[in-house]
Amino acid sequence: MTDHATPLSPLIHLVDDDAAVREGLSLLIGTVGLRVQAWADPLAFAAGFDRASIGAIVLDVRMPGTSGLALLEQLLAQGVDQPVVMLTGHGTVDMCRRAFKAGAAEFLEKPVDDEVLLEALQNAVRQHVRSRERHQADQQARERHAQLSAREREVLGLIVEGLTNKEIGRALELSPRTVETHRANLFAKLGTESLAQLIRRYAALVDNDAP
Amino acid sequence: MTKAWRHRLAGLLLWALVAAAGAGWLAHARVEQLRAAFDTDARIVHRLLSQRVVQHDAVMATLALLQPPVPGAVADTVAASTLPRLPSVYPQILAVLQRPAGAAWPAAQKAALDAAEASSRRSGRAEMALADLAAGRYHLVLAGTPASYALQIDLAATVPLEEWPMNPVTSPVRVALERAGQSFVVQPGRRLDRMGWHFSVHKLLASPSQPLDVVAERTVTPAELPWWAMLGWCALTATLWAGALAWWRQRVARQRAEELLRLGQVARLNTLGELAAGMAHELNQPLTALLASTQAAKRLLGESPPDLDTAFEAMARAVEQARRASAVVGRLRRLVERPDLAGQVQPLALPVAVGDVLRLVEPELQQRGVVLEVQAEHELPAVLAEPVALQQIVHNLVMNALQAMEQVAQAERRLELHMGNQDSGQVALTVRDHGPGIPAEARDRLFEPFYTTREGGLGLGLTLCESLAQAMGAQLWLAPAAGRGAAFVLVLPVAAHAPAPAHPAAPLPTPVLP
Repeated sequence: MTDHATPLSPLIHLVDDDAAVREGLSLLIGTVGLRVQAWADPLAFAAGFDRASIGAIVLDVRMPGTSGLALLEQLLAQGVDQPVVMLTGHGTVDMCRRAFKAGAAEFLEKPVDDEVLLEALQNAVRQHVRSRERHQADQQARERHAQLSAREREVLGLIVEGLTNKEIGRALELSPRTVETHRANLFAKLGTESLAQLIRRYAALVDNDAP
Repeated sequence: MTKAWRHRLAGLLLWALVAAAGAGWLAHARVEQLRAAFDTDARIVHRLLSQRVVQHDAVMATLALLQPPVPGAVADTVAASTLPRLPSVYPQILAVLQRPAGAAWPAAQKAALDAAEASSRRSGRAEMALADLAAGRYHLVLAGTPASYALQIDLAATVPLEEWPMNPVTSPVRVALERAGQSFVVQPGRRLDRMGWHFSVHKLLASPSQPLDVVAERTVTPAELPWWAMLGWCALTATLWAGALAWWRQRVARQRAEELLRLGQVARLNTLGELAAGMAHELNQPLTALLASTQAAKRLLGESPPDLDTAFEAMARAVEQARRASAVVGRLRRLVERPDLAGQVQPLALPVAVGDVLRLVEPELQQRGVVLEVQAEHELPAVLAEPVALQQIVHNLVMNALQAMEQVAQAERRLELHMGNQDSGQVALTVRDHGPGIPAEARDRLFEPFYTTREGGLGLGLTLCESLAQAMGAQLWLAPAAGRGAAFVLVLPVAAHAPAPAHPAAPLPTPVLP
């Protein structure tokens, strides 16, 4: 059922205790090029699924051993960042509210229409990819920022505040030429090409530095 | 248990208090009544005795007046003519003594009579002398000129028995005349030293010359209390108490029964809800798989080139899941299937069965102010039915009718039940209400499961009635719209050759008036 999916395509974790439901939904999800890993046992899933993978989680609300809602709360408490789509046989308003409050991305009723489910999964995957990318960019910016010298950080802070080289020199009692050198090094180390890019990516880190 | 006993004890104490208060009031009233009677008697006795002794004064005054002005001349005449006659006119006067001027009183009584005469001369009125009250005797002396007189009085004869307010022998009142430590007992009465209520009156006779003290006394003993009335009162309150207790118990029991009934209905609804939830889950799983498989197959077939193998596999799974869903439905049917009613039918009298149901719903009828009209044709044959199912159907139809009539004014609420022979030889029960009737679009769907026109209705009542009727070989239908309201007809098969069982002319509940 992964014929249509490449190893790098997003991975959907499907947790349902009913074999027929697992097979049917796996097949359906596979038709849009998503990989599916099906789990019969919610506890085995919680213990063993690949938390680093890009994708989403589909949870049945009513399962033996643990309720889907409890599992959802547990996963989010553990910092799992995959979006979770809940499936239920007969959803009550109260159950729906609890699921969204706990952080579910979607709440769908069984039997679920293909378009509804697939759209929900694709949205979830897109959301997950974006959040991972943002996370990655932040990580990179932090690493680069850590390479700056103390003087370069001071200069970066004043650049972000909008001061000219001359003003920065006056503030730090440096010659404009020295400031210019720091500025060039700083742009090179942070891998930015324009002032606008620099400010967009690093302003937040400068704020964190501020005494 | 202890709480119940404490309640019982409190109730008993309360009753004892009420009974004792009532009995005490009765006793008090009797004692007061006896006291009033005693007071009246004492007053009468005092007046009668006073009138009599005043006569003595009058007699003496008359004797003094009748004396001739000239001493010696006619004195003998008076003595000879008047004096001896007095005792025969006044029986209480035993003797009349006369001491003319210069003469002396008889020697035996001289000292006492002289003293009294001297005293009388000083006071100017008659004076008592030689009083022997124990024997009921005394003398009355009036000093006069020229002669003084003395009367010997017999107190026993003074008592006017013909006017006496009491029976002197049996009356419990003791009456005595007392003076200076002596006393004459007019009537002995009953013993006074017994336990009870003691009444007494002391009053001097209204004659200054004979200042005898009338003493009336009586003791009311407990034996004179109105014991029967008091006992009756206790019995009456006990009976009322027991009646109230029984009524209260019955009320509590009825309330509990109603509570249980309501609880039963709630429990049934809960069970129904559980059943629906379980059914939803059991059906949802295969339906989810079925839907996912068929939709996956559709997508696989839509690809170019179509993935025929996987699509085929998906369709095979879909078929499997459709079978699974159908098996779930089959299991559910078997779960709720009723045992065969046809084997349990028995001959019974339709009016009796209907009467039983109407007794059950009578409170509902009264509460809604529904006028009930029940007609049963004479000589209805016994019908074949399962008693409980028949009751359930009739109960359902009647309750439906009552609920329908909640939408019309109370004055228009009329429920008609008619039992009669059909041309086909069967027996029909028609339940007709005077409610708003059934809308045309609802008529065809009325017996469909889960179809309801009522807010919050399950839509299973008539469906159940119809399947119960069919299961025992009867038919239930909605009569064609005619006039106002709705009419349901239940047609029951007739028991072959069997005469109508017991109570053919069963008493039906009387129509309930609003």
